[in-house]
Amino acid sequence: MSIDKVISDIRICRSLWENMGRSSKDKRDIYYRLAKEEGWRARSAFKLLQLDEEFNLFKGVRRAVDLCAAPGSWSQVLSRKLRGTEENSEDVKIVAVDLQAMAPLPGVTQIQGDITKITTAQEIIKHFEGQPADLVVCDGAPDVTGLHDVDEYIQAQLLLAALNITTHVLKPGGTFVAKIFRGKDVTLLYSQLKVFFSGVTCAKPRSSRNSSIEAFVVCENYSPPEGYIPNMSNPLLDHSYDVDFNQLEGPNRIIVPFLACGDLSAFDSDRTYPLQLDPSKEYRYTPPIQPPIRPPYQQACHLRKNNLLSKEDSPTVSFGGAFSALHLSANQESDTAAAAAAAAPQLDSCEMNEEEAAEQEVQ
Amino acid sequence: MSVSECEMADRKSAAVMESLMLVAPVTALEFLEEEYLLAGEGPILSVYSLQTLLINCTSLSVLQNQRIHGIHLDPWQQERGATAAAPKEEELFVSPWQQSGRVRSVVLAVFGGKAVRVVGLKETGCGGPSLEALGPVIELQDWVCDVRWLRARAPLLAVALAHNAVLLLEAGKGWSLALCSCQEGCLLYSALLLGQRWDDMVIVGGTVFNQLVIWRPGEVGEDGRDRIEGLQMEVGRTAQVEKRLSGHSGVIFSLAYLPKHGWLASASDDRSVRLWGVGALGGVAGCGVPAPPCLRVLYGHQARVFSVRLSPGRVFSAGEDGACLQWGWDSGRVERSLKGHIAGGVRALALSGGGRAVEVACDWGGRRRDQALEGMQVHLRAGRGKVHSVLWAGQDGVRAYLLASGTAGQVFRWLLEGALYSCGRDGCVRELRVGAGDRLEVLRVERACRGMEWVERVLILDPEEGGEEQGTGEGCQMVVLGFQSVFFVVWDPVRRERLLSVPCGGGHRSWSYCPPSGPHRAGGALVFVKQGAVLATQVPQDPQGAVSWGLKVGLHGRGMGCVCRLGWVGPAGQGERWEILAAGGEDTSLSVLALQPLSGALRVLSVITDHISSVRALAVGLRGKMRIDGQKHGCSQTDGHTVTSLSSLLISAGGRAQLQCYRLLVGWGSQLSSPFCQVIQVASHRLDEQWERRRNRHKIVKMDPETRYMSLAVLHDGPEWILLAVGCSDGAVRVFSVSEVDGSFQLLWESFYHQRCVLSVAPCCLKDPQSNRKLFMFSGATDGRVAVWDMSTITAWRASPTAAPTWNGTCSPCLTFTVHQSGVNSLAVWEGHGDGQTGWMTVASGGDDGQLSVVNIRVQFHQQLVEGSTMCVELQSQSTVLLAHAAPLTALRHLGPSLLVSASPDQRVCLWSLCSSAPHHHSPGPHQQGPASASMAPPHISRTPPLTSMALPYTSRACSSHTWPTQRAWRCGLGLGVKAEPG
Repeated sequence: MSIDKVISDIRICRSLWENMGRSSKDKRDIYYRLAKEEGWRARSAFKLLQLDEEFNLFKGVRRAVDLCAAPGSWSQVLSRKLRGTEENSEDVKIVAVDLQAMAPLPGVTQIQGDITKITTAQEIIKHFEGQPADLVVCDGAPDVTGLHDVDEYIQAQLLLAALNITTHVLKPGGTFVAKIFRGKDVTLLYSQLKVFFSGVTCAKPRSSRNSSIEAFVVCENYSPPEGYIPNMSNPLLDHSYDVDFNQLEGPNRIIVPFLACGDLSAFDSDRTYPLQLDPSKEYRYTPPIQPPIRPPYQQACHLRKNNLLSKEDSPTVSFGGAFSALHLSANQESDTAAAAAAAAPQLDSCEMNEEEAAEQEVQ
Repeated sequence: MSVSECEMADRKSAAVMESLMLVAPVTALEFLEEEYLLAGEGPILSVYSLQTLLINCTSLSVLQNQRIHGIHLDPWQQERGATAAAPKEEELFVSPWQQSGRVRSVVLAVFGGKAVRVVGLKETGCGGPSLEALGPVIELQDWVCDVRWLRARAPLLAVALAHNAVLLLEAGKGWSLALCSCQEGCLLYSALLLGQRWDDMVIVGGTVFNQLVIWRPGEVGEDGRDRIEGLQMEVGRTAQVEKRLSGHSGVIFSLAYLPKHGWLASASDDRSVRLWGVGALGGVAGCGVPAPPCLRVLYGHQARVFSVRLSPGRVFSAGEDGACLQWGWDSGRVERSLKGHIAGGVRALALSGGGRAVEVACDWGGRRRDQALEGMQVHLRAGRGKVHSVLWAGQDGVRAYLLASGTAGQVFRWLLEGALYSCGRDGCVRELRVGAGDRLEVLRVERACRGMEWVERVLILDPEEGGEEQGTGEGCQMVVLGFQSVFFVVWDPVRRERLLSVPCGGGHRSWSYCPPSGPHRAGGALVFVKQGAVLATQVPQDPQGAVSWGLKVGLHGRGMGCVCRLGWVGPAGQGERWEILAAGGEDTSLSVLALQPLSGALRVLSVITDHISSVRALAVGLRGKMRIDGQKHGCSQTDGHTVTSLSSLLISAGGRAQLQCYRLLVGWGSQLSSPFCQVIQVASHRLDEQWERRRNRHKIVKMDPETRYMSLAVLHDGPEWILLAVGCSDGAVRVFSVSEVDGSFQLLWESFYHQRCVLSVAPCCLKDPQSNRKLFMFSGATDGRVAVWDMSTITAWRASPTAAPTWNGTCSPCLTFTVHQSGVNSLAVWEGHGDGQTGWMTVASGGDDGQLSVVNIRVQFHQQLVEGSTMCVELQSQSTVLLAHAAPLTALRHLGPSLLVSASPDQRVCLWSLCSSAPHHHSPGPHQQGPASASMAPPHISRTPPLTSMALPYTSRACSSHTWPTQRAWRCGLGLGVKAEPG
């Protein structure tokens, strides 16, 4: 078998594999597929839409802030819903904040900044011409490390940072929506949020998977404690159990009401659907709207694709000096073919990793 | 469990749960010179002796409900004790041991989550070391990234906090003396404290913005250094970042510093390790050189790098890909790659002083070993077909085996044990035995190694010289030799790792392999012919070679999705019995585990890798005939002891609509005093078998959904066949029968009534006034609805010889009701209502909404047909606890007449008692036992998604002298907890 043949075979296998892998994701996750078909940048758009169905989040909102906005699906929802319904859509102001840049959206102003910086809060207010925001949303989540206690902690810190900047920009009576992980110390976060909002509900949109611990806190009627002065220089620390009488055990733990959101007739995010949803419409694969922007593993994947990752040196030695010359001279071609063959599975697995990562991103 | 809780529970005469055993991933490691290895497993600190080959000496639960993330030895203890004659300032390495009389002791600071605790390790003249807590758990306001003992008269600790601050802590009492924050208050993923004194110490922080920041928390200027001794709290000081190192494109997970060379290493989410020439840090040197250069960027890991350590000339890194790489400092190349961990990745890495790199702890600890079946009888039989070669490969009076190579590249192997292995170019190893009538029976076909299509030989290695060194008394070990792509591979099927991989160019070669000797199995020599030359490869076994010891058995690396109890084996009434569990994981494997709650021992008896997607549900059938004659389930007399063995059918279900059924024979080897397990494949089923048979399937897009099986329940456990209910993600409830005689699954019935992913199924049996058995099936879906199905006629139909291929008995449920706002995660159904009246069923359900609900259902039987049915199923009453858990309620079991246990990712297991004063009243609701008592926070850091299953024994009797019936619940997640509940 010639090297060319080997390489061309590898290419064919790869393209088929990609197609299969992609449609398989479409089957497993109906909202992923719908998001692509409806032009949302990520499936999480449906989560905000379903939260709005339940809580009427967008009613009368003129100024909205989307924290940790990239890739921008929630900003997309804000843009379509707020500007679409208002008579004079020019009045509506939407600000999207993220460390990363993202593709522009109509009516959405991007601020590339850190939500823990006072300057970012000032910039938001400046954009609203000194007026506070009516609604602050945050769908940010850290890259999970796999160690659940660490992930939960980081997510809690992200939420508290979002809460902190929200206290700078939200009008009294305003609404704050953020992602929360329902884990070990979630009750501590609830008690912290209860200090600032009179209504705190844990909501789970139907588009968020049953198997995921993700949920959203919808915090209504911003009413900070009397005399509270927003302060960015000291981070809001988590509450701890003894300080706030929020018991580790027993009935004194603060658990906020739970509400499942979204119409029951909506698609079930846990169900696997056939590709042919509608008999009259043929299934066609839709590529993702927006691939992940500069993921951390980009360089590593590039190296891996080109077989440039460092590897342990081969332990093979020639068996006696007499044979070594022969071995070296005769072996060139087959070694190249072998290297090409060896590279093949890695190419695929690298693809897969990227796609998996894209999946995470999209979720 | 604390004392107060016990008292409260006693007062209420309520049931109490107590944690018996916890198996958790290893997340922290530290060497104590060359003598001990300290490991943090969940909240438990374990000490392993290095001299006696890693035997677990002692363990102590240190951090209550926090997971241990780091351990730091106090090097200044000696100096603190002896007031005079302080060692020289420059001395960098001081022994942490303190000798007083015949007692040697070490002080450790253990941290994790938001807690720090000081622990002492004591070694008296005789006996092993012992651990004791030297103070309470010090709970802090913020997450702890690193701690460091300071050189001072008082026991002072510097603690790096995740909001880029450093806290000065008096370790004995837990007083905070000073707090210094960095002006840059961003979140740290990792931190490293350097220096000996508070005034001149340096912190390196790995920020959420992919940078390293270096600053000094203790710089005080004029105040002088004696201020510390005054023990005054000082707050609100901030410091500036002095150095900033950028380059990583991901967050920093780990940092290491080598004072001798002034190197700093950082491991990152971007899969690289970077080395920085920072110069001297801490002490008079301050923050090192003005502009630290990045000396090396090391890319070699296939996934994120979680841990890095430095030794002179070398860098060690370990990560999510389960590999530990040893890098040469000069070359920047990988010198050695140590692989020994199954899926899940390596979390912690420690280096001993002498540069001997051991080990590497992963999500599930160390390596695993298997028990071989014990010798029973000699079978030496001729093979089928033409025999090409026969080879005796060892005879020492204990083990002898015969190799015969036949046509089609097969190698047959005969063992004393009577098990027989064959392998071929289909990449499978078949385990056979000689059954009745001199016929070969295939017990198990196992795909040896992913991608290894050409299996050449199965090799049984002699048991290691010191068989007891693992403390397990293990038998012989099997390895599989074959070709994978262009490599010759030696594969260990139990540990699931490549022991050797040689790029020889692939198959069609004449080769010979010589297994290595010694306590480790890596390496060995391979000789092969390539391009007319004879080449040999041999892994050097010089003192620098990697020698690996198994420290701890590994379990499922990526979290367990389900667990179920099979029973117990072992001698009766000696407290020596082993509980046998089966567990399925996201790593697509299924493992049979044996554990001894009293001693805390855990063995992996067998690993089954037939699933192609994650294993989500397990069920067990206890009846049924054994296909193979021999020992039956029950008791046998061995050496005057009654020994119980066990045989059961295990059914597993998972992703890609796959069902597997196995006969497990678990026995107890009295010679080795340990259980062993034989696995026989019985049946396998996939919904889309037609699709699998299509030849050109890679060219077409498959239109039907790839169904995941979400849950399993045994509807009928008969001697001939078992009826199974399966909840499926495509919205169907399916009923299968599995027969051991036919060796197949049969789909009997399906209904798409729910039109939503079916999360849970449960059976319930009733007797009508005529004593006819009525079988009901309950199914719960993601919309919070539960459907009740009358399946009474299915068993009779299945038993009739003229049965049609599918059953048409029920097409719609006899009752449906909504109990939850969203998914019904778990169902528990039993007959009766309060005082056990007949004609009632009680349904307890746990939902995604954190709610626990109990529904009473009344079944009325009519003499005549009423509305086309002879019975009427009615919902009588419903009661709920709205916020039973702060997170989804993922598992629920019925323990006794009025006792329920629930588990949730909020890390709590709750006991509930059903209070019903009068059975006819409509509010027999669940009440939590005691005001705050029965709900307990398990000392358990295994959070969620995988915390989904709980298994209960049918009724295991009490251990020895106690007369309490004991029930145990197993929770699974990324850890395995065992709870005992003496009622």
